[in-house]
Amino acid sequence: MTASLIDGQEHAVDPRSVTLGQILGVGSTLATGITVFTPLPITWLLGGISGRTLAIAIAGWALAFGGVVLFCYFWPKLHHRHLRYRVDQAGVRIRRGILWRNTISIPASRVQHTDVSQGPLQRRYGLATLTVHTAGTEGASISLEGLDRDIAFLLRDHLLPDDEREAV
Amino acid sequence: MMNAKPSEPRRLHGLSWVFITASSMKGFVVPAIVVLIFSAGGTMASYQLLGGMVIIPTLIGALLKQAIYNYRFDAEELVIRDGILTKKERHIPYARIHNIALVRNPVHRIFAVASARIETAAGGKPEAVMRVLSIAAVEELRAETMQRSRVAATVDSDAEADADETEPRTGARAGDSVLLQMAPGELVRLGLISNRGFIVVAAASGLLWQTIDWDADWGSYYAGIIDLIPSWATWLIDPVSLRTPVLFGVAAVVLFFVLLRLFSVAWHVIRYHNFTLRREDDGLRTEYGLFTQVSSLIPAERIQLTTVRATLLHRLFARSSLDLEMAGAGEAGSDLEQHLAAGGARKARQWLAPLVEDDRTNALIREVLPEVDLDSIQWNPLSTRARRRIMKRSVIALVFLTVGVSATLALTPVPVSALHAIWLPLLGLPVTLLAATGWVQNAGYALNAHAIFFRSGLLTRNITIVRFDKMQTVALGESPFDRRRQMASVKVDTAGAATAGHRIDIPYLDRDVAEAIVERLYVEVRGTEYRW
Repeated sequence: MTASLIDGQEHAVDPRSVTLGQILGVGSTLATGITVFTPLPITWLLGGISGRTLAIAIAGWALAFGGVVLFCYFWPKLHHRHLRYRVDQAGVRIRRGILWRNTISIPASRVQHTDVSQGPLQRRYGLATLTVHTAGTEGASISLEGLDRDIAFLLRDHLLPDDEREAV
Repeated sequence: MMNAKPSEPRRLHGLSWVFITASSMKGFVVPAIVVLIFSAGGTMASYQLLGGMVIIPTLIGALLKQAIYNYRFDAEELVIRDGILTKKERHIPYARIHNIALVRNPVHRIFAVASARIETAAGGKPEAVMRVLSIAAVEELRAETMQRSRVAATVDSDAEADADETEPRTGARAGDSVLLQMAPGELVRLGLISNRGFIVVAAASGLLWQTIDWDADWGSYYAGIIDLIPSWATWLIDPVSLRTPVLFGVAAVVLFFVLLRLFSVAWHVIRYHNFTLRREDDGLRTEYGLFTQVSSLIPAERIQLTTVRATLLHRLFARSSLDLEMAGAGEAGSDLEQHLAAGGARKARQWLAPLVEDDRTNALIREVLPEVDLDSIQWNPLSTRARRRIMKRSVIALVFLTVGVSATLALTPVPVSALHAIWLPLLGLPVTLLAATGWVQNAGYALNAHAIFFRSGLLTRNITIVRFDKMQTVALGESPFDRRRQMASVKVDTAGAATAGHRIDIPYLDRDVAEAIVERLYVEVRGTEYRW
């Protein structure tokens, strides 16, 4: 596993992160949409607005939120396609961005410490986010999300400063 | 280590609250004056507002701070206790204390007190500021620190020799060498070059403007002036023609700029009075100030980034400014580091030299970066297509501007033909072409065995130097426009980078060149170990 990962080749993050991104995006959009929408039928029931107004509102709502839901469905796929990481003995390189692309190289000798974090949904899917901290300013903490949990820990161990590794 | 017992806690001088209040009120002085002046009619109310909302809480805070703040001398460290709601106890090992610097302004001198700054190798920000101590207390602080540090050092050397730790010093030594001393003439030049004081003079002019009675009988003023000036110049003062107001307008503008520069000169002469840069055992030290004397240590190994800056005016005088970015921190991961980071000390840019002759710049840079020789750098140009990219952007902007202006002229009742908008591209294109050409010619990057260099700017020219061992991450950026032209930019991140100021951020590179630079930096950084 180690040999296959620390090979200086570009890797994509786990494809399950696409599903997770879609669930999160579509879910939160629907939740917001329904919350915003709920007062309308209640007002209609109470006789505040006419049936026609309600129909127009529903159509508008469906169109707007349909668009957002579609976006939330396709965006994680695009995001995943353009997120790549490359690990070698000298450090790690993360390439991301769909229109504006940024490739950031983090030499292992500059890694101050690393975190692996998992949210509740990430845990459900066995995913994790690796955060690398450097002494820099803009690149003080660089995250790589959507990694398989085991790979995240493997990368963390690889990026641990030498003296800490010896201590462990 | 049992030989030195902790001392009784010491307190601040009895008048500290005055100085604490004064120092926290500093930032309020200008707004307070503005409030008082521009609240005509409700002056009483604004006095009360000012008193109730600013002065009284500050006073109470200062009194509380004086009551709570104390320090004691432990066996190996100076312990400072502070904090009104959140109690803070800071331990500063004597061995870490590099200097106890004093700031004494005239008011301090009247009361025989001083504001003591405890400096460690962190650079940038002092570790602690004791505001204020009596002179006797300062003497005790210095003596105790020096003595106990020596005891600690002796004990230390038995256990483990640490080359980094030196005993604290309280003044310049005979062996120190002066690298730069700015004569008054040089400070005058610095004042002329810098634009300090714009706000003050602008505000003063604004007030003056308000006090002028525009409905006054100008004719009688003119008559009075005619009596005062020699007869050959009386034609300038003509009550009926437009000549006189124009003349006065021009005179006012000239006066404004003269005042601006005069104020700037005065400010710099006072602030940077006797600016001295000298080399000491463990770094460089700058000292300056006429009323408020400042002394700060620049630990050479903490310098993250060095910039040589020259504005148009600098170049007129054949001078440059050199400044440094420091990362304030002890050993990485220590409490000290986090403390300093929380205090904002990581964002410190400080002078190496506010102004230095061009032919001495290189020598001064070599004092902090011995492996750098600015004179022998082989600058690499940006992409050959860089100018075209800049021009394309400018042309698009000009087209929008021209269309907008001509539409405005056509649609509004301004008695100017819409065709006059054509002057914008006619004049703008040659100017942008010249500017773009000049900018691209002056921009460039270089790599030597130890550092990366980037220069840019047309009117204000900057050269930034970052040593490989101070680099953190390297980023290759591609905007959609970059990708269309197979170009990219390279950006180097360092610790303690300020938000403003020149950085290593090289735009308009050919993509393969950019990739080669990133690859080279990645390899170079791999070979070095980062030390704060």
